[in-house]
This record gives sequence, structure tokens and C-alpha cells, in this order.
Amino acid sequence: MKRVITGNYAAAYGAYLTRVDFVAAYPITPQTLIVEHISEFVNDGLLDAEYMRVESEHSAMSACVAASATGARTYTATASQGLALMHEVLFIPPVLHLPIVMPVVNRTVAAPIGIWCEQNDTMPQRDTGWLQVYCEDNQEVVDMVIQSCMIGEHKKVLLPSMVMLDAFILSHTVEPVDFPEIEEVDKFLPKYKPEHAYLDPKRPMVLGSFTPPEYIQEARYQTEESMNNARKVITDVTKEFGKTFGRDYGGLIEKYRCEDAEVILITTGTVTSTARLVVDQYRDKGKKVGLIKLRFFRPFPLQEIKELGEQVEAVGVYDRSMSFGTAGPTYIETRYALYGYSIPILNFLAGLGGRDVTIKDISFMFDRLLEAKKGKIKNEIVWIGTRGVEP
Amino acid sequence: MYEVRFHGRGGQGARMAAEALADAAFLEGNYAMAFPFFGAERRGAPVVAFTRVDKQKIRIRTQIYEPDYVVVLDDKLVDLINITEGLKKGGMAIINSAKKPEDIDLGKKVSTATIDATGISLDVLGVPITNSAILGAFAKATGLLDIDSIKKGIVDMFSMRMDKKLAEKNARAAAIAYDKTIVGTCKAQRTFEKRKMWLPTYKEMPLGLATPPMKTEAGLVGPGSFIENKTGSWRTFKPILDHEKCIMCLFCWFYCPEGCIERVGNTTLKINYDYCKGCGICANECPKNAIEMVRE
Repeated sequence: MKRVITGNYAAAYGAYLTRVDFVAAYPITPQTLIVEHISEFVNDGLLDAEYMRVESEHSAMSACVAASATGARTYTATASQGLALMHEVLFIPPVLHLPIVMPVVNRTVAAPIGIWCEQNDTMPQRDTGWLQVYCEDNQEVVDMVIQSCMIGEHKKVLLPSMVMLDAFILSHTVEPVDFPEIEEVDKFLPKYKPEHAYLDPKRPMVLGSFTPPEYIQEARYQTEESMNNARKVITDVTKEFGKTFGRDYGGLIEKYRCEDAEVILITTGTVTSTARLVVDQYRDKGKKVGLIKLRFFRPFPLQEIKELGEQVEAVGVYDRSMSFGTAGPTYIETRYALYGYSIPILNFLAGLGGRDVTIKDISFMFDRLLEAKKGKIKNEIVWIGTRGVEP
Repeated sequence: MYEVRFHGRGGQGARMAAEALADAAFLEGNYAMAFPFFGAERRGAPVVAFTRVDKQKIRIRTQIYEPDYVVVLDDKLVDLINITEGLKKGGMAIINSAKKPEDIDLGKKVSTATIDATGISLDVLGVPITNSAILGAFAKATGLLDIDSIKKGIVDMFSMRMDKKLAEKNARAAAIAYDKTIVGTCKAQRTFEKRKMWLPTYKEMPLGLATPPMKTEAGLVGPGSFIENKTGSWRTFKPILDHEKCIMCLFCWFYCPEGCIERVGNTTLKINYDYCKGCGICANECPKNAIEMVRE
């Protein structure tokens, strides 16, 4: 059933389609409509879930940890300051192996206070052990809520997932989305039956207790192993989803016109969508450019990016947040993946605080990459459109 | 592909109009998207929203800088903003106004359609929310969509946020507007100055944006900048105080969110129309019905 709806509605509808058992709700712009729509689904009897209004995001995640530990399929959503407030609790589900699903609307974190798109809310959470997937359109939002349940609940993974959508550019934009029928989703996604950890008086267990150093290092490795296992599971689930619903997102990354590309740009989120047009324009002019849509940031597609080192002559990385004192987070990780290849790798910073990333901005990125291919590099870290800064 | 920019004021439903248009276009087999530009959200403040329609999947996700059509939900905006800014050659303006197109001055001769959407909305809905009526005018003036699709689009989108009966009433407003739309050409007797913006380099910008009262090329910024930024133009309804009925209980003075009720000594009150946005809270709270909201 195709409907014209917002990214927030797509995220909420994903909760319905996956028949989540528990939702912790705390509103924050631009996420508010997600939990509002879910409250309507619960009120209208469409979704049979425990809907808990909590007093903060810190409480929301605490409630999710407890709910997921009872074996419930657990969902919440947040953005920006809300995610920052959750930070302390975010470390818990990846170690207890609780596959919570949480859409996050990427919004700038204060100061200065703003409501528009930036990834400086989710990028700082990259070390907590959550899977992170960045969406390009509203269709991908609902599809990734479904797939995140499947990936996160897989026995070899059992990790929580953040599903990212850009503030306003997706959250408040309507466009056609093809919703699968809930019966089809039921067939695709089995019921969540935790075997490792759940709170049941008939089978008592200790969860999250005080732990001395003799055990913590192994617990850390369990999370790392799950993260590494997730690579194959993600690829398998995207394939299976593609077979069932006709939309195969290609695993951890998607390559766009990369076949004989000499330079490629790596992007996350909605900038990917506009960048496809720019690639088409450059291809029409005979320029061999390609695009990598970085879907998963955690686990980071190390192998996929490394393979590019064999093929291309320059790599550009677009970042919508900055790790002060170094570079954009995607750039840092890309350079790590490309260690050993002596090709130019440039970082493009644009769209911070929600500034529009235009066709002109993306063309500028490709022009710089084509120059870099010939050995001309003005700056490695390129701040685009920042007044007073030479890009 | 065609692109549409809607100009309205917070609360007039520009965003829902943009969404209903996208839905209507989708119902006719197109791909469509609609999105708002969010400034600081305040009822009455000028806002814009956008719709894009194409035969194939739309990839571009930037804002719209050169629309094919501009739609204006509040004709007072025409005097404040150069609404034809960026309008493509051969583009068209669709304006909520009781005037004829040739009596409207957009500073540039463009194809213009007018409709008294406020009048129709007051008749059909009882409120001056013009976002449905204006879509009927859009369908008529552009010929891009069937009015039945517009009606369906309105019912689809509006019933997500309101009672279905009210959504259907909105569809009726669109149908009435469709029949009453006048298409012509506007006049171009005035000129609009390009809106100035303060765009300092990072070095010129106060550190951490800790901004003292400052004069910039775009006017005052920092504390006191509201001296230049009069919000009275946002009003659709004006509060009129009947001094005979007023008992000086000061409820209005307490409740006014903008501090626009001034005490003159201990005996009388004065409304500051330079800043009053016409929200009507004062009239709603007055226990003696001494304040009446009158259409501007």
C-alpha cells in the first residue's frame, strides 16, 4: 500500500509493522511526531503495546533496557539533546545484548541551539556498541526499522540498533512510501524469543550486576564479536528483504555508478540522494565519478571501503559533523580502512547546523576530487561555504 | 518536474497545503514530495513550504530556490516579501486576495491568479484558514491537476490531523475556490529591495555567538533588536478593548504572551498594536467580554 507520508510516520509505522511490545515515549523536536503517531496506533487498537510515557530520555532508555530484558520487542525514538541525555544508558544494551530498536532524527546538538540537521548527536555515540544505519529516504526508514529487528534479534548479533533519519529533510518531508502488509512482515520477521537473557521468575538469572575486571574484558569482546558477526547478518537480511519485498539495499554500503569510477565520494543520509543527481550530471560529461552510500556506520564497512583502494585514484568523504581537533568521523574511519593506499583522501564538511547542501556544494566536492586525482590538493579537510575559511 | 513554493504564516497551514498538493499529484500517478522550511515556529510568523512533483522518483533534496509557481496564503505578505523572488520565467503566482490580478502589485509582471480564499474559508469553515481553498485555485490556474484529485489529497492529508468531516469541508472549500479563481497578470509599479542578511565571517562573528546589541548591514541584532522587528503585521484579527466594560482585572495583562497590554496608570489599559500578533488570548480570557477580535 503506497501512501504519501513523512519520515516520522514511516518510523512510527515500522513500530506497528514489527508489532513492538513496548514503547518508551519522550518527545523532542523533530522526533515528536514519531511517538505521537505511535500513541495514536495504540489508542486506536492498531498496535497492542505497552506505551510508557517517561519523564526524560534517560528514563526512556532505562525503561527500554528493563523491557527488553523481559523478552519484549522494544522501541523508542529520540533526537539531539535527547540522545545526549541517554548517553549513560546507551552503553548497557550492547553488553546485555538487548536488541532495542531506536529511530534517531539527526538534529544538531546545542550550543548554539538549533533544530536542523547535523549528525553531531549520533556520531558521538559510535563507541557505545549500537548498530547505526543512516537512511536516504522515507522508504528506507520503514524498511530499516523492520530489518533492524531482524538483524538485532539474530542469535549471532543481539545488539541494539539506531535507525537515522535527517531532521526535516526526512522527518517532516512527505513522499510516497510503499508499506508492506503486516501479514507479510509477520512471515518475514519471526517473533522475538530471547534465549540468553530475560527476566522470568521461573528461570532466575542475574543481569547487569557489579562485575570485577576478571570478566569485563571478555564481556567487551562478546560485544565486538557480535558487531563483527553483524556484517554478514546485515548482508543476508538485506538480500532476504530484497527477495521478499523487492527492495535490496545492498548490505553495509551501496555503490552508485562505481564500475569504472576514478574518483568516488562517500556520503551518509539524504545528501546521498542529491549526490546521485550530481554523479549523473558528471557522467553525462564523461567524468568517471562514483558514489558510495555509506549505510551502516556501525559496524563500519572496513572491507568494502578497503576494496575501493584498489580501484580508485581519489576518495572524498562527506561529513555532517566534526570531531574537533581531528576531522569528520566518517573521514577518520575511512582513512583507517584505506590504510596502506597512497591515494588522496579528502574530507568535505558541509551542511552543519542544517545548512542546505546544494548541487553546487556537491559539484565542488567532485571538482576537488578530480583535481586531487591529478595530484593537486589544496586542503585535506575542506570546510565548504564557511564564511572566512578557505575551502 | 515542477516546483511550488507556498508563502503563509504560522498557523495558516502552508505546510498542509504543500502536503495535500503532493498527495493529489501522487494520486494522479506522479512522484511527489513536500516539505516545510522551519524557521522559528510561531503562530503568525511568515513561513514557507515546498512541493516538488515529477514523473519519476525525485532525488534532489535541497530547498527550492527557483520555483515554477508561488502560492500566497496571506495577501498581506505580498507587501512585506518579494514573493516572486527566484520565480522561473513563465512562472505563475497564485494569491489569496479579494482583488483582481491586475490590481495586485508584485513588483514584476507575472501571470497571476487570485481567489478570495479567506472569504471562502470563513463561509465554509468558519475560520480564516485558507490552505484548502487556495489549492482549488492552484488547480484551476495551473491546469496541472484535476480538482477531484485536490479534493482527495485534502481529505487524505487533513484527516490525519483532524476529524474526517472537517477534512471534507476543507475539500468543499477547494471546490468552491476552483470555480471562483480569476487568472490574469499582475502589475509591476513598485520595486522590492533585496532582503539584507547579516553574514559575518567566523572571525567577525562574536565568539560563541554571545551577541551584544549591534548594528549590522541587515539591521539590529542582539538585545533590543525587536525595536526594528515589529510583529503587528502578523495579525489577521485585531483585539479592540471596550473601556466601558473593562473592570481592570488585568487578566489580559497577565495572559498576553507578548506583553502587548500596557497599563496606563491604575485606571486604564492600552494595546500595543506594533507588536500584538492577534492571537486572541486576551479576548478569550477576559471575564467581561470587553475585548473583541475584529478582522484586519
